[in-house]
Amino acid sequence: MTAPNTLPWGRAVRVIARRDLLEFVRDRRTLFVTLLMPMAMYPVLALASTLGLRTALSDQEARQAPRLLAIALSGPDAEPLAIRLEQVVATVADQPPADWPAQLTAEPVPARAAQQQLDDGTADVWIDAPAGTVAALDGRGTVPLEARVSALRPIDTRRQRHLLAVVRALAEDARRQRIEAAGLPPSVLEPVVLAFAGGSPFESVASMEGILPTAAGGVLVLLALLTATGAFYPAIDALAGEKERGTIETLLLAPATAGEIVTGKFLAIWGVTLASLLVNALSICLTSLVLLRFLPAGIDLGVDAACLTSAALVTLVGYLGLAAVAAATCLAVTSGARSGKEAQNTLTPVILLVSGLAGSALLPGADGGALAAIPFAGQVALARDALAGAATSVLVFRLALSLGAAAAATWLLLRGAAAALGDEELLFRGPDVAGSLLTRPAPRSRPTPMQGFAAALVAFAALWYVQGIAPTDLALAVPIQQAALVLPLIAVVLWQRVDPVTTFGLTAPGGHRWPRAVVGGVFAGAGLFILGATATLALRGTHLSPAARDLAERIMGLLLDRPWWLSGLLIALLPAICEELFFRGWLLAAFAGERPSRRRAVAAVLLQAAAFAGFHLLPERMPQTFLLGVVLGWMTLATGSLVPAVLAHLAHNAVPLVLVALAADGHGQRLAAGDTTTLPGWLVPAAAGAAIAGLALVHAARRQ
Amino acid sequence: MIEAAGLSKHFRAADGTVVKAVDGVSFVVAPGEMVGLLGANGVGKTTTMRLLATLLKPTAGTARIAGCDVLADPLGVRRRLGYLSATTGVPDRLTPQEVLESFGRLHGLEPAALTDRVPALLDALGLTSCAARPCGRLSTGQRQRVSLGRALIHDPPALVLDEPTSGLDIVGARDLLDLLERLRGEGRSILISTHRLHEIERRCDRFLIIHAGRIVAAGSRAEMAAAPGGLEGAFFAAVEPGAEL
Repeated sequence: MTAPNTLPWGRAVRVIARRDLLEFVRDRRTLFVTLLMPMAMYPVLALASTLGLRTALSDQEARQAPRLLAIALSGPDAEPLAIRLEQVVATVADQPPADWPAQLTAEPVPARAAQQQLDDGTADVWIDAPAGTVAALDGRGTVPLEARVSALRPIDTRRQRHLLAVVRALAEDARRQRIEAAGLPPSVLEPVVLAFAGGSPFESVASMEGILPTAAGGVLVLLALLTATGAFYPAIDALAGEKERGTIETLLLAPATAGEIVTGKFLAIWGVTLASLLVNALSICLTSLVLLRFLPAGIDLGVDAACLTSAALVTLVGYLGLAAVAAATCLAVTSGARSGKEAQNTLTPVILLVSGLAGSALLPGADGGALAAIPFAGQVALARDALAGAATSVLVFRLALSLGAAAAATWLLLRGAAAALGDEELLFRGPDVAGSLLTRPAPRSRPTPMQGFAAALVAFAALWYVQGIAPTDLALAVPIQQAALVLPLIAVVLWQRVDPVTTFGLTAPGGHRWPRAVVGGVFAGAGLFILGATATLALRGTHLSPAARDLAERIMGLLLDRPWWLSGLLIALLPAICEELFFRGWLLAAFAGERPSRRRAVAAVLLQAAAFAGFHLLPERMPQTFLLGVVLGWMTLATGSLVPAVLAHLAHNAVPLVLVALAADGHGQRLAAGDTTTLPGWLVPAAAGAAIAGLALVHAARRQ
Repeated sequence: MIEAAGLSKHFRAADGTVVKAVDGVSFVVAPGEMVGLLGANGVGKTTTMRLLATLLKPTAGTARIAGCDVLADPLGVRRRLGYLSATTGVPDRLTPQEVLESFGRLHGLEPAALTDRVPALLDALGLTSCAARPCGRLSTGQRQRVSLGRALIHDPPALVLDEPTSGLDIVGARDLLDLLERLRGEGRSILISTHRLHEIERRCDRFLIIHAGRIVAAGSRAEMAAAPGGLEGAFFAAVEPGAEL
């Protein structure tokens, strides 16, 4: 028997996918998490929320139900006033006005008895009717009534409204009698009457308007989370589990590339994740049908059936991409783990992060268009807007964008997983040793990728927490933010004993060609600011989110009100040094490693640029900062030095300063604030020329 | 044929020092020959075998399996090599039949060929009675035989077996070694490592003794048997301090 020398493309992928799928469906944990949990989760949640809703509605109904109102009348005119009130009750019996009590009693009693009734709760209110009260009602005067309430048993707001309704009806009755006495028609008091035709508009006892979008948003986030959870156990089983059982070696011994193995495993995990998605969707549909029966009659859902169908379709298609990214993420994250336990520990925070990302789409002001390309958040935002009835063309465009972004993210993650699968150290190093975090490592030339990730997480967390305590004044806020970035880094560098010269590229760029790298960095940085600002404005317009507008105003305030050297220090110099040390120094060195292959270099540059964009926190600035991060990362790798990137960053951030300083007529101020409508025509071509010339100079100074 | 030429593998240890796990190893295992690779723990046996199986990339030197170079054509090597170690496991939730079928397909065997090959292999390995039972419910010996079946499903001309009898009882070990002798008789090149010298001293044609990443002694079965203390004596003489190469 002889095996063929080459296999048809995709055959190994299919065999591995089939083999893994067979294993997954025989795993009870996977079946439980994928199929049973969603079937039980939604009914339980729906039951709990329905019971809560019913309780809330009943409570509301009970709070709105009319109550008894007992009035104790005293004084000489108590008797006639009681009779008058009886007449009023009879008058409104057919159509009680708003807030009318369920039953009204008005008993004439002596003053002492009235006080007693107030104190023992027999009467809600005590009104003294002096002599002439009823006569004044019939005449043309104003009757001053004083309603006394008990200090022991204060009257509640509901009964206060009942009393006001009774007094209004009494006044209305008196008014009508006065009109008749004056010989005027009743229409004098009613110049306009409104009637509803075609049925009463107040049939519903309550409306779901306002409740439904919130509930739907919650369900969409839950759907994203449970779909991602569907990939949890299969992903752990697929690589870490195979390493633990010793079966991964058998796959690596087969004539299949790491890419084919990873793709086969991804397809199997995606299959399980899709099954999880479908079961979740089915459970949501069935639960919704049951929920409708549970709801009290007359509830207005405020949902259009056609809109609901298209929204469900958009959600399902969008979530196909979400399931792919979830499967690839879980596979990539667990590819570095040596055992199931290690994989579980690594994957758990990632799943929490994913749910946070999905939930961010529901934050007030979250722009669905901007989020479309961000996995998890994009799909939730898309489904939310589809439910809200967004235009079909908008939905189709964003769906295509979301699927494209999901495909790209999946591809990148699978490349990462394949690289990890081929990594001998990850494959054969054995499980992590407990307590290794507290063991000071041996000195090394540059940080490991894991140290890079850890530093990025610490810096991001530090930056986030600093946002809460940093003062609004940029003169203080900027140094605090930059300190939050570099202080933990300094501690880590000292602890890890990495070589600062190698890690941070503290060498002359390009050897004897350093002047080219220096000039090129400055030209490229300055040119890129103008180009980036122009492109951003062309794509997004001048509309800014409140946070971005606030920051722009604070920067302008700093530029105009503070000395130029302080603005330069805070806006240009400090960020150029601190951020470059962190992103193009530590992170790039960690991700690229020593003598990186082209692929690894590209991945390292993209990763640190993504972290750099995320560090700026404002979504509208992220594309520009990401591209800047890519260019600065390339400069650093090309020249082997951090200097060109620092100078480029410095020049980039200094452009607004220069514009403000140069423009006496306010033109530069508008430019610095982002208003390019008055840009001189030559500026953009000049900026493009500067950027190209700068990049060419840096390229000419690259390492051999 | 299995050929290693100046095969080396160096690792960087946690303290930054370079560890030469395998250091310039060269040998040949001819077709129809079973060669024992002997050595203490941590001297480079497993690393050498992983280099041959393309699980690791050599730092220097190279190796060829049935004419295919481990660096130039790793997939070709895998098509021509059956590899088994004490740590290579079998999937718990698949049956022996499914394991053999899936690896047969991975090696490009057509369904028609598998229909004949899988039952024959299961029968040869004594696994017919448990062919439909999940591997997780099999005994250690049965699981190791499934592993061997996985390594043999594509009928490779060369076998690299790293402590294949580890964990097996005396009967299981004997049966497995008997099977290997039959496979040698079919003309396959077999490189086997084990700590149990008595198991292989009468079965291997030649022996290689590895120590600190280098082949420190080599000889035929007759030469080793003639040494003072037999194979065991030759082994200790080669690996103990002061031993002459």
